[in-house]
Amino acid sequence: MRRRRFLKQVGGGVAVGGLAGCISSPGGGDSDPLRVATYPAFVDAVSTEAGGWVKQEFEARYDRELRWFAPEQELDYFIQRAQAGVEIDADMYLGLTPTDLARTDTNLDRDLFQPLDTGAIEGYDGVIDSLLFDPQDRVVPVGTSYVSLVYDAEALDAPPTTFEDLVDPAYAGDLLLSSPDGSQTGLDFLYWTIHNYGEDGYLDYWDRLVDNDVRILGSWNAAYGAYSNAQRPMVVSFSTDQIYAVQYDQPMHRHQVGFLDGQGYAYIDGIGKFANADRPAAADDFVEFLLEPSVNAEIAKRNIGQPTVEDATLPPDLQELTYTPEERVLFGYDRLKGNVADWVDAWSKQVAGS
Amino acid sequence: MVETGGGQLTRVGRRGREWLERHALAVVGALTAALLVVFFFYPVFTVLLEAVRTPMGWTGELFVALFRSEFYFGWFATLVTAPGTAVADAGAWLAALLADPIDAIPAVTPGTMGLFVFTAVQALLSTVASVVLGVPAAYILARYEFRGRETIRSLTALPFVMPSIVVAIGFVATFGRTGVLNEILVAVGVDRLGVMYTLELIVLAHAFYNAPLVARVTTAAWESVDASLVETARSLGARPQRSFVDVVAPQLVPAVLTGALLTFVFTFLTFPIVLTLGGFQLSTVEVWVYHEVQQLDYGEAAALAVLETVVSLGLTYAYLRYEAAQRRVQRAVRPRDRRRFRAATPLARVAIAGYAAVAAVVFLLPMGSMVLASLTDASGPTLAHYAFLVQRQTEAFAFQVQPFAAVLNSLLFAAGTLVLAVPMGVAVAVLSTRGGRGRRLLEAAAMAPFAVSGIVVGLGLLRGLVFGVSVAGHRLQVTGALAIVAAHAVAAYPFVTRNVSPMLARIDPQVVESARSLGASRIRALLHVELPLVVSGVVAGAAFAFAISMGEFDATVILATGGDYYTMPVAIERYTGRQLGPATAMGSILLGVTAVSFVVIDRVGGVFDRG
Repeated sequence: MRRRRFLKQVGGGVAVGGLAGCISSPGGGDSDPLRVATYPAFVDAVSTEAGGWVKQEFEARYDRELRWFAPEQELDYFIQRAQAGVEIDADMYLGLTPTDLARTDTNLDRDLFQPLDTGAIEGYDGVIDSLLFDPQDRVVPVGTSYVSLVYDAEALDAPPTTFEDLVDPAYAGDLLLSSPDGSQTGLDFLYWTIHNYGEDGYLDYWDRLVDNDVRILGSWNAAYGAYSNAQRPMVVSFSTDQIYAVQYDQPMHRHQVGFLDGQGYAYIDGIGKFANADRPAAADDFVEFLLEPSVNAEIAKRNIGQPTVEDATLPPDLQELTYTPEERVLFGYDRLKGNVADWVDAWSKQVAGS
Repeated sequence: MVETGGGQLTRVGRRGREWLERHALAVVGALTAALLVVFFFYPVFTVLLEAVRTPMGWTGELFVALFRSEFYFGWFATLVTAPGTAVADAGAWLAALLADPIDAIPAVTPGTMGLFVFTAVQALLSTVASVVLGVPAAYILARYEFRGRETIRSLTALPFVMPSIVVAIGFVATFGRTGVLNEILVAVGVDRLGVMYTLELIVLAHAFYNAPLVARVTTAAWESVDASLVETARSLGARPQRSFVDVVAPQLVPAVLTGALLTFVFTFLTFPIVLTLGGFQLSTVEVWVYHEVQQLDYGEAAALAVLETVVSLGLTYAYLRYEAAQRRVQRAVRPRDRRRFRAATPLARVAIAGYAAVAAVVFLLPMGSMVLASLTDASGPTLAHYAFLVQRQTEAFAFQVQPFAAVLNSLLFAAGTLVLAVPMGVAVAVLSTRGGRGRRLLEAAAMAPFAVSGIVVGLGLLRGLVFGVSVAGHRLQVTGALAIVAAHAVAAYPFVTRNVSPMLARIDPQVVESARSLGASRIRALLHVELPLVVSGVVAGAAFAFAISMGEFDATVILATGGDYYTMPVAIERYTGRQLGPATAMGSILLGVTAVSFVVIDRVGGVFDRG
């Protein structure tokens, strides 16, 4: 590895030397910082911030500065820049979901991200196959989990185990959700109901959910916050919740994980390289870095998720706290593209009008 | 040579001063207009235009679709799309109303209500609640003398600065299932209240924000009631009730209506509090603007925002017309003496105590519960949440939001906002006080910053200022600290204007004219004659301007993108996550810093008032 990097640096130096002859101010210089955009929680969240560690570790290993940029509007910030015809001003985006990619391609008439030369990226072969969601190889998965129920075992006699249970009066007024408008978790739960009840049936199912007094709050933060405040005994969140509980000394009975109908909806996010990235080689380095098993596992631990490469494992005490459903549900890029806005719109009108 | 040159310079300097003195108001007015254009009208118009502009050309289709949509306009839409059903619905509605009026009250309209009517209804309920909770506070603060009165008065605007995340935390800690109120109810043997995620709780949260606004504006008006007028009425045999109705009330009503108008507009445009304390089922129009922006459907978002603006600015304009008609000239005011609390009648004392109890539950408990939450965790008292802030301060990476920097930025931006917003607000008040019908329109336009969807303003700032405009091959961007201050000032100055304008209008124009005829420039007359008479309005407006800046989130987070200009509300938002503790600790610091600032503002203002 060390030898390889040495060669790469020399190679990079030569390339820049060659460019420097024709461009007076080389934008992709060897020592320029790599600018990685991400969602704010990745760098700033109270309990689960992974950004600082990633920056230090990458800079130490690759001798290149990493500069985080975490706009409040997350990926929409860049979609809007592209719509306004303004340059993107970043090399990569960390935290891309299948929905993000589908929305980007639906709303822009040019590519925001570029396909990666996956053959040249060391460690790409180690990525768990079932997590690869982009047919065009623009995104490499970095973190994963399942969307599931998180419930308080002391407040519920028996947790619901099926979607039909959720509309049973026995669980009336028990569930907290985050809105598909403001959170990926909310969107994933919506897709999950479409998967199980079909495009013709999911709105009827939601009618029954609303009749059973579920509460849909503005963001995952709001829903999880209300749950941790004991407003209601269950919330739709992630199957990796106990990784948080054990690291932060939280009572385990309040962090029980439940799947529905034996299923969990796969949450996946990854990293992509902007189409006009100024530092494409450094960007590839960063992808390799994120796929290194030890790094991949450390990020999973800090970001309360699971690794995305086969050789990466969480520490044993955390590993035994992760849960896998019998069946995995995931809408891929092709299923999502062109459909997300219609589904969310129909859902919103139905629920807000009720 | 030297002397002559110096003399010329002096002459030039003096001429410059004279020119400035003559045109000072116009200069401040022009500056206000320039800031409004750059930081409000231009960015907002670029977004709103999308309601009527498509790549194919201009169109009104979006509005037609909105008006025909039962989702947005309920029964009113069916009047156009299905008149037969509409008439049948109206008949059934009337029959139900006549049969059992009490039972039919929740059905505000025939058929379905629609998003717009629902939004207006919740705003109306919130306005009523704010007036009901705010006016008694004004009465007590204006008419009674008791220890701590001035401090309480200074702190009335405190709820105003609390970011919605913090209000939500405080409200959950107070009214939630295991909240303080329910624990008290259980302790005294009463059933738990289930108010979480109801319209009632949203209305209460709106009152928490806006009743202080009503109280503050009304207190100022109550204090400026002329004692001699009341005494005259009494000496002519009017009973206290009669003198209240004839003398005091006419001066209070415009102030109460000002507070009511501001409350209605605010709550008509409400957004985050609805999704946090109510849930998606209780969506308002502004939630829908957010929804459309999230779907990147700017056309529909813009069309909705235009309709919101028509409602809020239309109301503002109607109110300004009313206010102008109410204006009556008043000569020097001699304030009435405040009653000692102990001298109050037993009935009054019981009423005041009852109100104090309600106010404690609505205003103090949520803030107190949040401070309490910042000092406790599941296992009892702790300083861990503050330790986190210290750690973020000392060990944070450069790219993270640091607490002390956030405090400092907040104070700097708020001070800068005061420096800009007070002259702007006063200038607009002066320029619009005297004049005819056209001025009312201009005055309404000057109030626009608080009458336009916050989401649209944010989107406009992002696209217009952060992304920048191409001018002659260069990209012109406006971001950073000064941009944040300017954006805050634009959002804040209408509060100065609204507090100052009615008081200014009561000053006898002859007072100003006689000062002018004695050779005083317009600005001197303003500084030496008019302003001293309206200091209490300026101070109240300044407090709210400060509060607006301290609590501002949307514009700040957008204009701070990529820089180190984060304020306390931004820090609070960034520190939320699985644990609420650090956010409550930061929220408590915000409360503390703002409380001290308010007391300082009022004391400094008080010095001017007496001087």
